[in-house]
Amino acid sequence: MKVSTIVVTIAVIFIALAATIYSLQNRAPNTHPIEFTAPFVFGRFNVPVDNPLTQESVLLGRRLFYDPILSSNNQVSCATCHKQALAFTDGLKTSIGVSGIPLKFNAMSLANLMWGPRHFFWDGRVSSLEAQAIEPIKHVNEMARDLEQLIIDLNNDELYKKLFKKAYGEISEKSIAKALANFQRTLISANSRYDQYLRGEISLSPLENQGRKLFMAHPDTKVVLRGGNCIDCHSQFLTSGFGSKFDGFSNNGLDNDQTLQEGLFILTQNEAHRGLFKAPTLRNIAVTAPYMHDGRFTTLEEVLAHYNGGIKRSKTLSPLIIEADNIAKTQLDHISLNLNDNEITAIIAFLHTLTDDEFLTNSAFSNPFMADTSDD
Amino acid sequence: MSNTLLIALAIVILSGCSEPSKTTNIAATDITETRSKALIEKDNSENSGVNIEETQAMVLLSGLPTLGTTDSIAIIELDPESDNFGDILYDYPLPKLDAPMHHLYYSPTGRLYATGLGSQCSLAEIELVRNAKAEPIINNFECLNTNGQNVGEDIMWHNVNGELTMFVTFMGGSDLSQVDTGTIGVFNAQNNQVIKIIEARESQVEPGQPYIKFPHGISAYKDRMVVTSSTHPTIPTEVGNTITIIDLNTLEPIETIVIEDAKPVGFPSSPVEVLFVRPSIVENVKPAILVNTLFGFETWKVPYNEQTKTFSAPEKLYDGATSGTAVPLEFYGNNDELFISHGVPGIVKRYDLKQLPNLVSSGEDIKAESGAHHMIFYKTASGRKLIAIQNNLLNLGDAKDDDPTDIDFLVKLNHHSVTVHDLETGERLGEINFKEKYKKGIDNIEALFGSGFTHHH
Repeated sequence: MKVSTIVVTIAVIFIALAATIYSLQNRAPNTHPIEFTAPFVFGRFNVPVDNPLTQESVLLGRRLFYDPILSSNNQVSCATCHKQALAFTDGLKTSIGVSGIPLKFNAMSLANLMWGPRHFFWDGRVSSLEAQAIEPIKHVNEMARDLEQLIIDLNNDELYKKLFKKAYGEISEKSIAKALANFQRTLISANSRYDQYLRGEISLSPLENQGRKLFMAHPDTKVVLRGGNCIDCHSQFLTSGFGSKFDGFSNNGLDNDQTLQEGLFILTQNEAHRGLFKAPTLRNIAVTAPYMHDGRFTTLEEVLAHYNGGIKRSKTLSPLIIEADNIAKTQLDHISLNLNDNEITAIIAFLHTLTDDEFLTNSAFSNPFMADTSDD
Repeated sequence: MSNTLLIALAIVILSGCSEPSKTTNIAATDITETRSKALIEKDNSENSGVNIEETQAMVLLSGLPTLGTTDSIAIIELDPESDNFGDILYDYPLPKLDAPMHHLYYSPTGRLYATGLGSQCSLAEIELVRNAKAEPIINNFECLNTNGQNVGEDIMWHNVNGELTMFVTFMGGSDLSQVDTGTIGVFNAQNNQVIKIIEARESQVEPGQPYIKFPHGISAYKDRMVVTSSTHPTIPTEVGNTITIIDLNTLEPIETIVIEDAKPVGFPSSPVEVLFVRPSIVENVKPAILVNTLFGFETWKVPYNEQTKTFSAPEKLYDGATSGTAVPLEFYGNNDELFISHGVPGIVKRYDLKQLPNLVSSGEDIKAESGAHHMIFYKTASGRKLIAIQNNLLNLGDAKDDDPTDIDFLVKLNHHSVTVHDLETGERLGEINFKEKYKKGIDNIEALFGSGFTHHH
């Protein structure tokens, strides 16, 4: 046999072997899809094609979500600022991470994240749940974790190695983000009293029903229609946002021109977007105080008081807010819904029907480390 | 002469008046696509922000006995610009019932209901959910207890003393063997329980007192509700010619008004669908009831004085017998126009909404097909505004007749199709013939997210 033939043969064997090893190493893991049904009235939801909802990714994501390994001091997990009992908020005006410095924003509630949003965070600065999941890990005041070191640490953990292999095949920034995103996608809330009302299982009380009608109505003094004007900005109040580009971002009159914050402007650099923040889900709103992007209101009563006379005018203030009034406008510079006390009470009663106790205590969303302990 | 023969005669006569309609697109080809494939293809263009399901519709399909098919509820694609146009994306088999399901309705809280033309299931609630692939699927189909009321037709939700209430017309009422037992079922809109059955048999009330015969169309404004008396579902000789006003404070009939003059086929007028024109439909409108008469071929107006709560003498607004149309059926519309379907010759007439309650034409008739009946409004992915019209009166086929489609007299009113038209021009952009493509008849159509028009009742 010629030497050249031997060399070629060896080369072919080597290439075949390398290809086989590469193929084995990069073989897509054998995953199992999550099965569930969700209310049709929520609308259509989207899951990225490259991150299907699998049992393996959700199992991994749930563990990561509750694991302080994601933070530099090994003391802060996602759940530190997103506590299940508070609909995955933290009860603070603005959250506090590893640096101890209060963050810029109030922790957003996590529920029904599959429906709608194209832009995450109060100011819409990222465009996917995967990107949203990574930001706090890297943020110097939140978790301040070096991702390269995190990947090394996760690789040193046999259980994580196994979970990542089953879900995504490897440990990487992408797979960490995907797993966290998928766990958050499973946080479906669909059994509040209002959900039960929509399904015909219960009736609302007269006060709640009055609040529901006010919530849904834009006031029209010409036909004596009284309204709370809530639905104008919160039409997606059962889910987490809007499916189209910047729908759902508005300036709800928290600040005047002198103190107007950046909001969506930070993403678009468009002056018309200065002071616009995301209209959040109102699901479980009764347990997610304090309110607004900076947590400035401690109660729902304060929130209603804001819309009932506390609105500050600015150049980007929502025209729907300027226009909405339950009495014929006599002073153009005074903006108020002019709701009466009973109506405010009714709207708040309705907002309480959006609390989903089953969601707040669902063991599938709870801390798996606690479950591990209790299992012991 | 039975009404069936009269209808047949009328149809034959009036069919000669119709012009053949032009199709600018071919009927959907016989390609079976799975829903998943269709959606994956659509998902790729998702960034447009367009709701990809806006062009989908739900249809009630009837099995045609000798063609070996059975009843179902299907979700179909109605975007003529889509490769999937005309495809059934999802099909939910219905239980075997004594008559087809007839109308689909979404309640104000998004619950889905259907009426049925038989006794086994004259009213049903359909549980529509999404599965983990985000696909709409039906989780449950539950026939509701109607306390013996038969042959459900229309559903209307209306606030009565502050409570949302569901009203259902039952043409067969409590006893199909009797000639005047039609009823209106009053249901708790939350738990679907019967609150009251409104019945006023002509044979039992004092002369001159209001009565209800075969309730079909229903509409309401404030504390006044109107129902029509059209035809008895099983006794062909029994046809009505009245509407009845019901006081919603007491749920009692208070007035019966005859809607009839000429009898183009020598038969009572048979008021069918009805619309209470009111300020929520047209700002500052003077309220009035519009009535279509199935066998009178007319549209009437009954003015309403809101202050005195009185109705004036009916005025005939449209005469089909002299205009070459027959079997007027449904009222639908959008923010600008009111649409009325005419089964013969298969057209939809359009009127300026702002001119209501008078009928002032707002454009050329939309040329659909014989049996033009229910319709939906929607936009394509490219933003084109469309109207889809279901062309079929009733699928009441019976295998023992060895008739592959339906009973003879209905043949000319059952085109078994949905035609899709540009809303502005009326140009036909596509057609799906369900009998040819799926060997089924089509009984009703509703947009997946609602018809796009709530002025139906």
